[in-house]
Amino acid sequence: MKKLFEVFKFEYLSCVKNKSYIITTIIFMVLILGMTLLPGLIASIQTSKPSEEGDEKKPVVAVCDKAYDGNDAVKSTFVKYYPDNEVLVVDEDIETIKQKVDSMDYQFAVVLDTPTAYTYVTKNNSFMNSGNTQINEAVTRLYRTVSLEKMGVDADKSSELFDAQIQMNTITTGVDQTKNYISTYIIIMLLYMAIILYGQMVSQSVVTEKNTRAMEMLITCARPSHLMFGKVFGSGLAGLTQLTIIIATALTSVGTIGASSIPPQILEFVHIPLKIALFALLFFLLGYFIYSFLLAAFASLASRSEDLNTLITPVMLIYVAAFMIVLMSMNSDAINGPVMVVCSYIPFTAPIAMFTRIALADVAVWEIAVSVAVQLVSIYLFGMLAASIYRIGVLLYGKPPKPAEIIKLLRGQHKQKKSVSME
Amino acid sequence: MELQISNVCKSFGEKEVLRDVSLTAQGGAAHGLLGRNGAGKTTTIRIIMGVFYPDSGKILADGKPLDRQKVQLGYMPEERGMYPKKLICDQLVYLGVLRGMSRSDAKKACEKWLERLGMSEYSRKKLETLSKGNQQKIQLAATLMCHPQLVILDEPFSGLDPVNAMLLKDVINEMIHSGTTVLFSSHQMNYIEEFCETISILNAGKIVLDGKITDIKRSYPRDRIAVTSPQFEKVTSFVLEKMSDQIITADADETREKTAVFRMKDPGFKSRLLSEIARGGFDIDSFQVCEPSLNDIFVEYTEAGI
Repeated sequence: MKKLFEVFKFEYLSCVKNKSYIITTIIFMVLILGMTLLPGLIASIQTSKPSEEGDEKKPVVAVCDKAYDGNDAVKSTFVKYYPDNEVLVVDEDIETIKQKVDSMDYQFAVVLDTPTAYTYVTKNNSFMNSGNTQINEAVTRLYRTVSLEKMGVDADKSSELFDAQIQMNTITTGVDQTKNYISTYIIIMLLYMAIILYGQMVSQSVVTEKNTRAMEMLITCARPSHLMFGKVFGSGLAGLTQLTIIIATALTSVGTIGASSIPPQILEFVHIPLKIALFALLFFLLGYFIYSFLLAAFASLASRSEDLNTLITPVMLIYVAAFMIVLMSMNSDAINGPVMVVCSYIPFTAPIAMFTRIALADVAVWEIAVSVAVQLVSIYLFGMLAASIYRIGVLLYGKPPKPAEIIKLLRGQHKQKKSVSME
Repeated sequence: MELQISNVCKSFGEKEVLRDVSLTAQGGAAHGLLGRNGAGKTTTIRIIMGVFYPDSGKILADGKPLDRQKVQLGYMPEERGMYPKKLICDQLVYLGVLRGMSRSDAKKACEKWLERLGMSEYSRKKLETLSKGNQQKIQLAATLMCHPQLVILDEPFSGLDPVNAMLLKDVINEMIHSGTTVLFSSHQMNYIEEFCETISILNAGKIVLDGKITDIKRSYPRDRIAVTSPQFEKVTSFVLEKMSDQIITADADETREKTAVFRMKDPGFKSRLLSEIARGGFDIDSFQVCEPSLNDIFVEYTEAGI
């Protein structure tokens, strides 16, 4: 146990003293500070803008009216929908309009062919264009206003009806996704990145020990399982330290600078309840151990950093797939759907899937307990398996062995252990 | 401490790496473990160090199964390596602590050994900033700092300059005199002859030769006599004339100047040859039995291949 602790301490300190670790931590702290300051900065720029805007020319929206015979409602309706533009009602033929749109005299033009059909003339029709919906609405409203006028409802009355404000009150009996969604999204991204980042830190450090042949010396000083567990625990604690620093920075900066610079609506969106934060921590640890044991085992089979990527690809693929499933379920509103329920009991997907369900849906306590239990058991099993593979892997050089060969070696080792313990 | 390896077998999958290997290394002496590349030396060493379990056989210390928790072992692998990006004192202390020393003892031992090897000034440098030979000295310090009762050195001299080689020789001799068991693996036969009283030659996982170097050499027919003389050509023709019936060949030795080598039908003719030459009244510098070199013996026993 003493050796395990020494390895753990050494690994933790070497992680924490590592230059790239320190630099990453600082970069994150600066980014967070910047992000909390940013909304305030943007707001101060925006408020100072209108004073310069007075003499600037507003972009022109041309409406060619062929359907309403110069009804005033045409202009007033379009002005309502385009308050930041200058709305011109023109009487030009289509070629002229085309030319003017092309030469940017008009931002765009709408030719009302009949009350219910129009031609949209624009220079570039972008894929993401949302302009059409607005024009559709304007044209529809115009049609309705004019038609209602003909039926004897005057424009003011109809516009009152059209602009009626509906007030909505929601009572949520389960989890309010609208409030949690963004913060959960952020935490899931963090969870995803943290688990794999620190997992890869472990695998990189295993390969370095092999590559520099430090392992030759280490293996005679301590048991391979101690070396591996010490490394995984040490790097894990280093990861936790970094996360704590980053989160503490985020909390203090949002609490102090952010309180004045971030609008309260946004603050409400990024608000993270303590319960969720604690669950995030729990599932980070579970996920980290599941993946870092696997990554350590696979990394021990590589003799050079170049082999490492090939070897850990299967693990990474599983991990990315797990993440994609969760994201897709989040987007398709199937957070408590059968896929997610199954995923929250599979060790590879459980850390992220179960956390997402807890944060965004209603989950029974026993479900959480089962998921955590499954993960704890898998951590134990993966840990044992990884220790066995590690024992074989760390002294293998050259081409990484094939899965069948590993199984054979593992079997042989198991037999030997038995015979040794029988002696 | 007497280290005894008895009837050790080891296979990796289908491949038999060690077949019934036995050897004994006495305390206060160095034992040479020789063998071609891939003969099984490193596997033998790793089994001693407890990195591999033997399939069968035992490792004994003074007749009892080796308890690696109690007996301190020091091993300098042929594949050198420690952490290149870490401070030298940090990693020495770490390795010392891993091998069961207290932190303060490890620090003291680290300082002591760095000073002994003339490396004190590098204590707070990163390993990668040192030259290869100096890195090797650091590794030696790591091997020896916990006062091991058994020291295994794998090619300790490779890459050392003559001054450092002298330093290492002194250190090894000191250890031998203080009663440490030294297991020495090298392909540089001159070092083996210098330090080791006994050797074992491994070939294809089997011990093909084992024993005291002097006994092994004596076991070869002592039928060749080298005579060094400024007049060695005259000596040659004189001997051929006088003893033609007992001499098989008489050649000039290519490796030594002014030396003739006589091969006799029977080693017992040695004294007669000596008296004949003395009677001739030549100016003789040396007269000695040609012993096979360790190199010759090694090649003879391992040439057969793996």
